[in-house]
Amino acid sequence: MGLREDLERFREVGEQRRQDLAEFIQYGDLGASRPDSVKVPVKIVDLPEFEYDQRDMGGVGQAEDGEPEPGDKVAEGEPDDGDGDGEPGEEAGEHEYYEMDPEEFARELDEQLGLDLDPKGREVVTEREGEYRDIRRSGPASTLDFDRLFKSGLKRKLATDFDEEYVREALRIDGWGPARAFEWAREERVPVSRTWLEDAYDDIPADERDRWRSRSEMESNVEQEQTSTRIRREGIDSIPLRREDERYRHPETIEEKETNVVVVNIRDVSGSMQETKRELVERTFTPLDWYLTGKYDNAEFVYIAHDAEAWEVEREEFFGIRSGGGTRISSAYELAADLLDEQYPWSEWNRYVFAAGDSENSSNDTEERVIPMMDEIDANLHAYVETQPSGNAISATHAEEVERHFRDNDDVAVAYVQDAADVVDAIYTVLSTEDTDE
Amino acid sequence: MSKNDRIRKRQVAQGLESHVDEAAKLARKLGLDPYPVNYWIVDHDEMNELIAYDGFQKRYPHWRWGMNYDRQRKQRQFLGGKAFEIVNNNDPSHAFLQKSNSLADQKAVITHVEAHADFFRNNRWFRLFDEGASYGGVDGSPTTPGSGPDAAAMLASHAETVTEYMNDPEIDREAVEEWVDHVACLDGCIDQHRAYRPTEEWERESPETDDEADTPEELAISEEVRDEVFDEEWREEHDPGEDALGEKDLLAYLAANGRAYDEETGRAVEYEEWQRELLELLRRESYYFAPQRMTKVMNEGWASYWESVMMTGENFADDDEFVSYADHMAQVLGSPGLNPYALGLELWTYVENRANRREVLEKLLRVEGVAPATFDDRVDLDEVLSLLEPVPEIANVVDHLDELDADDPRVDSDGLTAARDGEFDVDSYPWKVLSHEGLVERHYSLVQPPNRGFLKRTTRETLEQIDRYLFERDRYGSVREALADVEYGAGWDRMFAVRESHNDVTFIDEYLTEEFVEAGGYFTYEYSHRQDDYRATSTDPADVKRKLLLQFTNFGKPTVTVHDDNFGNRNELLLAHQYNGVALDVPQAKRVLERVFELWGRPVQLLTVVKEVDERDVKAASRRGQEPEPEEVGVRYRYDGDGFERIDVDREEWPPLSVGAVGYDTKPDEWLE
Repeated sequence: MGLREDLERFREVGEQRRQDLAEFIQYGDLGASRPDSVKVPVKIVDLPEFEYDQRDMGGVGQAEDGEPEPGDKVAEGEPDDGDGDGEPGEEAGEHEYYEMDPEEFARELDEQLGLDLDPKGREVVTEREGEYRDIRRSGPASTLDFDRLFKSGLKRKLATDFDEEYVREALRIDGWGPARAFEWAREERVPVSRTWLEDAYDDIPADERDRWRSRSEMESNVEQEQTSTRIRREGIDSIPLRREDERYRHPETIEEKETNVVVVNIRDVSGSMQETKRELVERTFTPLDWYLTGKYDNAEFVYIAHDAEAWEVEREEFFGIRSGGGTRISSAYELAADLLDEQYPWSEWNRYVFAAGDSENSSNDTEERVIPMMDEIDANLHAYVETQPSGNAISATHAEEVERHFRDNDDVAVAYVQDAADVVDAIYTVLSTEDTDE
Repeated sequence: MSKNDRIRKRQVAQGLESHVDEAAKLARKLGLDPYPVNYWIVDHDEMNELIAYDGFQKRYPHWRWGMNYDRQRKQRQFLGGKAFEIVNNNDPSHAFLQKSNSLADQKAVITHVEAHADFFRNNRWFRLFDEGASYGGVDGSPTTPGSGPDAAAMLASHAETVTEYMNDPEIDREAVEEWVDHVACLDGCIDQHRAYRPTEEWERESPETDDEADTPEELAISEEVRDEVFDEEWREEHDPGEDALGEKDLLAYLAANGRAYDEETGRAVEYEEWQRELLELLRRESYYFAPQRMTKVMNEGWASYWESVMMTGENFADDDEFVSYADHMAQVLGSPGLNPYALGLELWTYVENRANRREVLEKLLRVEGVAPATFDDRVDLDEVLSLLEPVPEIANVVDHLDELDADDPRVDSDGLTAARDGEFDVDSYPWKVLSHEGLVERHYSLVQPPNRGFLKRTTRETLEQIDRYLFERDRYGSVREALADVEYGAGWDRMFAVRESHNDVTFIDEYLTEEFVEAGGYFTYEYSHRQDDYRATSTDPADVKRKLLLQFTNFGKPTVTVHDDNFGNRNELLLAHQYNGVALDVPQAKRVLERVFELWGRPVQLLTVVKEVDERDVKAASRRGQEPEPEEVGVRYRYDGDGFERIDVDREEWPPLSVGAVGYDTKPDEWLE
């Protein structure tokens, strides 16, 4: 059927389509992705249609055990008519995702936005355990190279093994004795000792000691058996495993240059940060995280939420938190400075400090505390992203103040995001600022 | 396909042959009138392919089928390849059975398929496509009047046409694919309530809409004179909305009037022959598939209803298959969310019960001394129900074979003779000894356990309603006498009539009851700006119904029509979204507009209404514990091939409001905490 070709073509189109990252970043569903795997909904591949705005359309659900009641939150996934089967022209309710790793994401974004950020700055030499290639004579039992020990034993066994019956026949040549036989054995490279020959000769009854008239008669009548044949026939009852053959494997130590980055994400969670603002922060920060993860060998993230106080949170909570309280942006920088000093020394880590909020701050905090701290904290880049959907409130001047003060610095970026359409520009502003940095 | 595979399929097919024959006979005896059905045995993967191709073996090359297939495969991996039925609207119909299904599943599928084939053949919306027949030469049209579509042949020939163009060295393959994409974006933008006509015919038939000379701007008079004569008052009376073209079939409109955009010259040029042909071909497919999209709930409910009558009511499932069948049904009907099978089945059952009840009440109200006011005193409904029970020999033919009378109109005399001669096992085929009339009585709905309460729930209002139009009162001396006259077939007759004339929208509108909504625990939900999530808003049946109707009206999509084809006197195409209170998905609509540009060849615009919610409004509303009231703004989006421009428009310029523009929003005034 032509369907194979259709499937192939779909894959190709999908590939082309998922390059349309700008659209995904601005309007797509970022929630399905994890820090280590960016999932671009394949839905974007699908052709557009005139459709209702999902939110404005609402829908019909079916309650279970009387839940939910009017006013209750509708469970995740409910906003779907559940009509999952393929009807002509209809699409299934499920989303499919095109997965890419952060490296691919970073590459695509570079291409799309014309960025070219090389992970510069600190490169840290780390010692990494390589494969177990280094062999030593001592070590923990678990690293004993038994293969090698066995092979050595086998070799030794082979080296000392000989066809005993054959040698005994040599002792039965008329006129020979242990001494003559020993000479013969040396000549024939049979690893037999003189003592063995003497003992064997003693065991041979006297009437058998002249069985063969000559060496040639013996050799033409008796077949010498090869060691390998014998082992195959008899098996090995004992391999001489010797202590001196023991070898222990040790990992190779590989010295590697690795690029480390720590990204500090700071977000204002105070009461003025309405949902739309929160979402814009998430839309801006999440792709930045992916991008830097993709660019550096080792990326770590610190999430700081603040109102008038600051505290460190997990990524999962970061974008959802809401608190009451006022706003003091410097609280977050104080915490960031502590955390960076303790865990991410500037000598070893590339540092990015991204903050976002609606530019509202308590009076004089920006000028008196935040700006000095931004100066003080060593970082590849400081950025402030203002998310203010409905233009500026008069009191909200943090972004402007920062921008004014750092106008001439190339390691501070300020970006303004009013709606989702601005997100890609903001990301470009932030990343291109770093780009021209060093 | 390997030889073993073929042999295995043949074995499965042979095992099913008798079931297929019997199902077709039973369906006809029940009163269904299906297309003849050809059954095919396919394996799991072939089934996925067929589903991706909407039930056909050949479609034009397109990545969308690949996407469907990929999805289908992944979905079915997790569902474990459950019994799937796929049957296409074709005369004869083709149905595909999966090799690995159990026999119980195969039987269920077969009975289900027969009912679908009946629906395809008898629902009038499906005739809208077939009517293209009278215009001759349309692929896929019936060759003889009165027969159904030869869709398999039509789609295969479309596949050939597209493939030929793709392989044509003179035509860029990518261009063909893109063109298909452009057109496919407008897949639903047809006039599905009108019969399909090839564009040429459509042009000839469509009323002359070119009334441009009526607008002042078109007259050869000076601006001063014009403004003098056609003052504001005049203009208001001649609101552009009234002159709007209002054409719903965008595909036909573009096929007749569109131009392609030539990138090299930056000009609009006539369509190439292949472009014209592909557009028409895709439009034809849209019309062909539209009836299926318009009758999903009805059609699935219909098939589930008859499947159940045949499988359980007529022992089509053996005793040991019955459990697995019941399990399968429970899974199909019990899947969460709004399930077209369950909804459809419920509604059909309601149609049946209601018609049967009406028939009974009409008879009862003609009993001497019975009127709505005296109904409760004079009529004992338990007695009524027991009088309505089918007679024992009809209800249980197996145990009463000897008592059946070959001359009874409810008995199939040939079947009875054959059964008595032992030609078949009456246990397995009880229906063979009954006529249609007998089956009607045997399956009478009101006395069946799940429906027994239906008659008792009759309200005074219903009685009065029926009573009002009644003639020949006092016709019967007693209840027993009246009930002897009850037509057992009233329910099924009504169902057959409804399946002929309705579509999902009219069906739900007419038969979705409060009872259904309440029993199912259905509720509406809306997006809350304040909470940024979806909140349940109402359990009022009227709200639920309106919300449901929104999902089915115009395929659940907004209606967009041609508003003006010479907008601003610059040959720009102005489309209008017929605003019904629910906003468009604007980012997506813009992407569609980019495609329309390619089909119009010149700038295109879309008139709509957007809802804007200010952060401050959210805040202010939150303080009052309310949802913000979005501001509606009339907007034109213009796309000129390079970029978009948004133009806010005054109220007078708003798009035409669609009928019933209110009421889709079910948010309470005071948002519940």
